Amino acid sequence: MRWSDLLRMSASSLKRRKLRTFLTVLGVVIGTASIVVMISLGLGLQQSMYEEVEQSGGTTSLTVTGQQGYGMGSVYIGVSGMEEEQSEKYITDDVIKELSALEHVRSAEPVINIQALGLKGNYEGYLDIYGMSPSALEDLHLELEPGGRLPDPDSPELELVYGNAVIMNFYDKNTGRGYWDGEMPDIDLQNDKIFLVLDQDTYYQSQSADVLAGSAADGSTGSDGSGGNTGGPQTARKHVVQASGVIAGGPEAYNANSYSVFCDITRLKEYLKKEFRGRAIPGQPTTKSGKPYSRFVYTSAKLQADDMENVEELSNTIRSMGYNVSSNIEYINAMKSQFAMVQAVLGGIGAVSLLVAAIGIANTMLMSIYERTKEIGVMKVIGCSLKNIGEMFLLEAAFIGLAGGLIGNILSLLMSAGINAVVSGSGMVSGGAGISYIPPWLMLLSMGFAVLVGMTAGFFPAMRAMKLSPLAAIRSE
Amino acid sequence: MEVEREKRRGTVKRVISVKNLYKLYRVGDSVVHALDGVSFEIYEGEFCAIVGTSGSGKSTLLNMLAGLEKPTKGEVVIAGQHVEKMNEDELVRFRRENVGFIFQSFHLIGTMNALENVAMPLMFKGEPRKTRMAKADRMLDMVNLKKHKKHLPNQMSGGQQQRVGVARALVADPQIVFADEPTGNLDSHTSEDVMRLMQRIVREQNRTLVMVTHDNHLAEYADRVFHISDGSIIRIEERKNQYEGGKTHETA
Repeated sequence: MRWSDLLRMSASSLKRRKLRTFLTVLGVVIGTASIVVMISLGLGLQQSMYEEVEQSGGTTSLTVTGQQGYGMGSVYIGVSGMEEEQSEKYITDDVIKELSALEHVRSAEPVINIQALGLKGNYEGYLDIYGMSPSALEDLHLELEPGGRLPDPDSPELELVYGNAVIMNFYDKNTGRGYWDGEMPDIDLQNDKIFLVLDQDTYYQSQSADVLAGSAADGSTGSDGSGGNTGGPQTARKHVVQASGVIAGGPEAYNANSYSVFCDITRLKEYLKKEFRGRAIPGQPTTKSGKPYSRFVYTSAKLQADDMENVEELSNTIRSMGYNVSSNIEYINAMKSQFAMVQAVLGGIGAVSLLVAAIGIANTMLMSIYERTKEIGVMKVIGCSLKNIGEMFLLEAAFIGLAGGLIGNILSLLMSAGINAVVSGSGMVSGGAGISYIPPWLMLLSMGFAVLVGMTAGFFPAMRAMKLSPLAAIRSE
Repeated sequence: MEVEREKRRGTVKRVISVKNLYKLYRVGDSVVHALDGVSFEIYEGEFCAIVGTSGSGKSTLLNMLAGLEKPTKGEVVIAGQHVEKMNEDELVRFRRENVGFIFQSFHLIGTMNALENVAMPLMFKGEPRKTRMAKADRMLDMVNLKKHKKHLPNQMSGGQQQRVGVARALVADPQIVFADEPTGNLDSHTSEDVMRLMQRIVREQNRTLVMVTHDNHLAEYADRVFHISDGSIIRIEERKNQYEGGKTHETA
């Protein structure tokens, strides 16, 4: 028998029983759609994770931090012989140079991360400041509000780029109320100048000293000695700083840099050195006597690998040098296995309904064979080979699967669009990708799967049709 | 008599040869002999009738000739092939190549029109749609169904349906045609029509037709009649005048 004839026979016997075919196909439609939509949700989550990763430096970046307290006997020999006796690893200028000389490293930039206090009128807020080189800042691909720009490395002033949600960190000093209490701080980060306090310890000491001084003044007039025992400068310096830009999106939108403040590393270093002259800068390692080292130690180094493939190898190399390395690739790998599990669970839920649909197909095919017992017998007597009869029924089942898969995919595309429209309307997700994402391979795979399920469900009935004795079939009147 | 017949036919080919055919059924504790040692031969171009009452074993015999049932013992050789030794796949192929079948209750496919029903055996053979439709068309012309080619089976009378059945049995140009009570579901007038049609085709195309019937009167159309009772052939009736008489035959 020719393929075209087989196809025609199968299609015509499906057409013969329209309602039953429709109901069976409907089962497959629901099964396919539930699998596809479920998996698309998982994929959507994964997609938005990738986008987030892309925002926070992409897949090729690595963050190298120092190692403290342990790791004795490491292979690494210090840049200057001085700290050979200690096992601590710090990110210094020399280390940056060494890192950038490694294979697969495209660039290595130092990063300083410090906590500081921002003051504006009655408002006070903690700032998480990242000092970075201009090229590293550019690599972040920050999207700024109109009018914003990255900090000018040549400007003598410290210029800040605020994350879009930094405003939420500010609160009223007197009432203690801030964004989370329903009160939007009255600060225009883009244009207002704020006071930046780098030396928080001193600032708070002087604050409490003021209070102390105030109460002392009530009792006696001799208040000269207050705060004198600290030994440092009595008041922390308040630097007036100006924003160069604010990350776009407003406080509601979230991205990886929402709560960060960025500035030029050279300026920040200068400010810190000036502020903490002769003392240890917070976060900087000190000798046992509490004195700072002569070298400046960075919080971390940001590396760009030449290719995503080499990130893992590179991080192993750096780890063997005694440093801590974290890269997005590790995060991605961890998330990938997590998402795989989520998808498996979601797909499994969908698969249950496809299983039910498969039972429906098997039932329909069996019914069809009972009805057509006589016909099958006649065909066998006339000379239709067993193989052809089996193929005819398998094809019929495959048709049901294919039709169900096709319509199911169309349905899930509609559902996916609907979900995305609803979700983006309520502002639950940021970025372009919605919560549901259906890639082409998922559509092809699900259609193939539906056909496979149909054929599997049709296999047993087809075998049954093949085994029908022609004689018994003709006799059944 | 055997010798005489051989002599008379001379070079005529033996198409069916049955030797010592037995079919036993076990019914409860007893064994029923549906066929009890049947032997006969059928030659090319013959129209044979197997006549007997119901339960005589005539249908069992036909089923065995067509390979629908396996004999308990004995051999069936059709067109030089041992039918009793074939497996089901081979049987299907054998029927497709060599045998046409006419059923008592027509057994047309209800969703196909007359033309498609007739073309079906050719479809199983893998003939392209165009050529098989042309052949089917010619067959329907031959059985005088020119006006009903596009009709579905349920739009035709019993006689018309059986004509379609006859056309279907012949379309693949088989050596042998088996007919199982071909007029069993028809009234006597239409029965005569169909019988005459079959007789005509056998004569014109020199086909071998084996028909099973319980009706002695219908058996008169045949060249040779096997009377079967309790699983054995009790009498073989030779209708010489018909065999030698060419196109005309005695009217019933």
